[in-house]
Amino acid sequence: MKKLLTRMSPLAPDDSGACSVLYELGGITVICDAGGCAGNVCGFDEPRWFTKRSALFSAGLRDMDAILGRDDMLVKKLKAVCEQVSGEFTAIIGTPVPAVIATDMHALERMSEKQTGMPCIAIDTDGTSFYDKGEEKAYLRIFGTFTEEEHQPDPHKLGIIGATPLDLGIITADALRIAARKEQFTEIVTFGMDSDINEIRKAATCAEILCISPAAVPAAKLLKKKFGTPYTVGFPLIPQSIVRQAADLRAERALIIHQQFAANAVRDALPETDSVTVASWFTMLPDYMQESDFHIRDEEMLIQEAEKYDLIIADSVLKRVLRNYKGKWIDYPHFAVSGKLVSEDFYADT
Amino acid sequence: MNKAYFITAENLANAGFSALPDELQSAKHMIYSSPATLDFNSPGARGFGVKRAGLAIPESVMLLIAPGCCGRNTALLNEIGYHEKFFYLLLDDTDIVTGRYLKKIPQACAEILAELDYTPSAVMLCVTCVDALLGTDMERVCRSCKAETGVPAVPAYMYALTREKRIPPMGLARKSIYSLLKPQKRSSRECNILGYFSHLEDQCEIYSLLEQAGIRKVREIARCQTFAEYEEMSRANFNLVLNAEARYAAQDLQARLGIPFIELTRMYRIDKIRNQYRLLAQAIGAEFNQSSFYHSTKDLIESFRSEFGDLTFAIGESLNADSFELALALTEYGFHVAEIYGTVGERNFIYIKKLAQISPETRIYSNLSPTMMHYEQDIQIDAVIGGDAKYYHKDLPGIHFNDDIQPFGYSGVCALFTQLADAIRTFRN
Repeated sequence: MKKLLTRMSPLAPDDSGACSVLYELGGITVICDAGGCAGNVCGFDEPRWFTKRSALFSAGLRDMDAILGRDDMLVKKLKAVCEQVSGEFTAIIGTPVPAVIATDMHALERMSEKQTGMPCIAIDTDGTSFYDKGEEKAYLRIFGTFTEEEHQPDPHKLGIIGATPLDLGIITADALRIAARKEQFTEIVTFGMDSDINEIRKAATCAEILCISPAAVPAAKLLKKKFGTPYTVGFPLIPQSIVRQAADLRAERALIIHQQFAANAVRDALPETDSVTVASWFTMLPDYMQESDFHIRDEEMLIQEAEKYDLIIADSVLKRVLRNYKGKWIDYPHFAVSGKLVSEDFYADT
Repeated sequence: MNKAYFITAENLANAGFSALPDELQSAKHMIYSSPATLDFNSPGARGFGVKRAGLAIPESVMLLIAPGCCGRNTALLNEIGYHEKFFYLLLDDTDIVTGRYLKKIPQACAEILAELDYTPSAVMLCVTCVDALLGTDMERVCRSCKAETGVPAVPAYMYALTREKRIPPMGLARKSIYSLLKPQKRSSRECNILGYFSHLEDQCEIYSLLEQAGIRKVREIARCQTFAEYEEMSRANFNLVLNAEARYAAQDLQARLGIPFIELTRMYRIDKIRNQYRLLAQAIGAEFNQSSFYHSTKDLIESFRSEFGDLTFAIGESLNADSFELALALTEYGFHVAEIYGTVGERNFIYIKKLAQISPETRIYSNLSPTMMHYEQDIQIDAVIGGDAKYYHKDLPGIHFNDDIQPFGYSGVCALFTQLADAIRTFRN
């Protein structure tokens, strides 16, 4: 049956993705839920929760709030929290509860701005899509709302969109900045990771944007349209240990499962790329797919497809799905799949 | 405001429960995801939420019917051996709008059974806020599933939206896990302990006290290895309810199976423990010889105090105790309690009133308040109790005291002071 998971746990949802993008920007983020969704974000999908402080709260909705559509109560609580905690903006993240009762998120946005005097972005996630959709929506909203036009591009500055723990499995972007360094760029900003809303405001100062996940591309297109900033796609954090292991195994047909750009980067680093297929549970942009690449629809499809390969490079939690798979396996952790961070030296020699 | 909100016990007691400050009322503010909130909202590796609790029925499996976000953190439970027991039917936007997924649930149950190499005792159908709002008739869905598969289906309501209702989700979960018990001949020498999803500490004196009263078999759901053992719970002459959230389940068992119940409270004041056991003995027409337990516990407390002095504690709520009752107990034993991170309710306000008389300056914080993100220690604290208190005071000695295995009675008090002594000695060395 489609959408029945019998062997694996659900993947990171869209509300987690949106929160991940906003986490370090210095806003006051409210998850519009009863408590469980915020618990899932802070207790599982946001590994920075216990190391980097962020004003991320649950709206604490109760059944009568939802049934009676008491948006005014939510805004009142948001105003109260703005008096207790400092923030540059407010954000409201959708969950299944506002989705079921068809909350007008734009109206919430306007009401909140009026009450708090701060800009507000409401993101209409509903917990049914994957994290990349939430990231995409959040990037579009923040770059669409906060970027300032008065800045001039700095030819030595590179902006990276798409850096979140859900994609990278790390909670600081040092390794990413080192890996992305090129002669031309002496300043690298990783939007949303180790950087705040001011960098978003000054996004026009970037000479180029690097998208490290498909979720980043719509925002990069937006910046191109707004400021003429060119963008490229890629994933500089290539785990060389995986590349070495894969090269040693000399597989006839290999399958790499990750987010599309991370998987593509590993494929490109392998000596034989023709026999390597990339697949993902998440968005696969056609422009960056090879003929054999595919989107994984469900467990059943993965089980059937996996039989065609003698090497799989994927998060080892997927072994539960492929319990009868007889080929070789190289672990390529993906936090949005397993919730596991990578070790400190995972990206050491990228 | 850039300070965590608190109110002293004295001021709170004087104001009264009806004038609880907004900061202590979760419905009046946004919710901060403190470690205690996470234990409550995101029950994963520690503790029991609806998902883990629902699987307390031996040999059962669970189908979570929800958007992906509701089941995401269940991955934490996989790490403690639950990965073979959880299945998920993920809902999309159209499912939610049309309710079409309800018709797929029996088929999903059938596919799960085909996946397993054994027949489970029950399929727990866990539903979330979506079904709370849609008003899904889960009893009917369960009947359809049983008709399709022949295996009982039981609802597990993970309705966070109804957390402050008369019967909260964990109350309903407790009712669900005993709902498969059927009437049978009862034995006057058998009883059940209800309230927790794990069993009590093996050394808990309640077992030997009940034995003194002629009870030969004490059953707890967590000690039932098989469904057959679980079914024997309906032989009990009476149920002992050790957690008020199990009252609804006990009432249901009384109505369905005719098993009466007696409610006890977990406390850390040994005089109250002694009194409670005395009343229990009266209720079941027996006599308990509890003096050895009482005196050895008292001696242990005195020896702790003579070794470590009049320590000042901070107490959280991620622990196997009522934070305020524990604070009162420690204060009565001659220690000090500087801070409590807890949730004030009608039931524990009585302890706050007593605490206000002997420790008026004790600060009461709400773990749920957004201001707790600014919490910083500015008062002397020597040791802490509770997972959340440990989070706020990483540099102080302390204990989590929130293991799955449940402390109770004198043995619970002994466990508390023994663990504290070990932690403080380790810290000092």
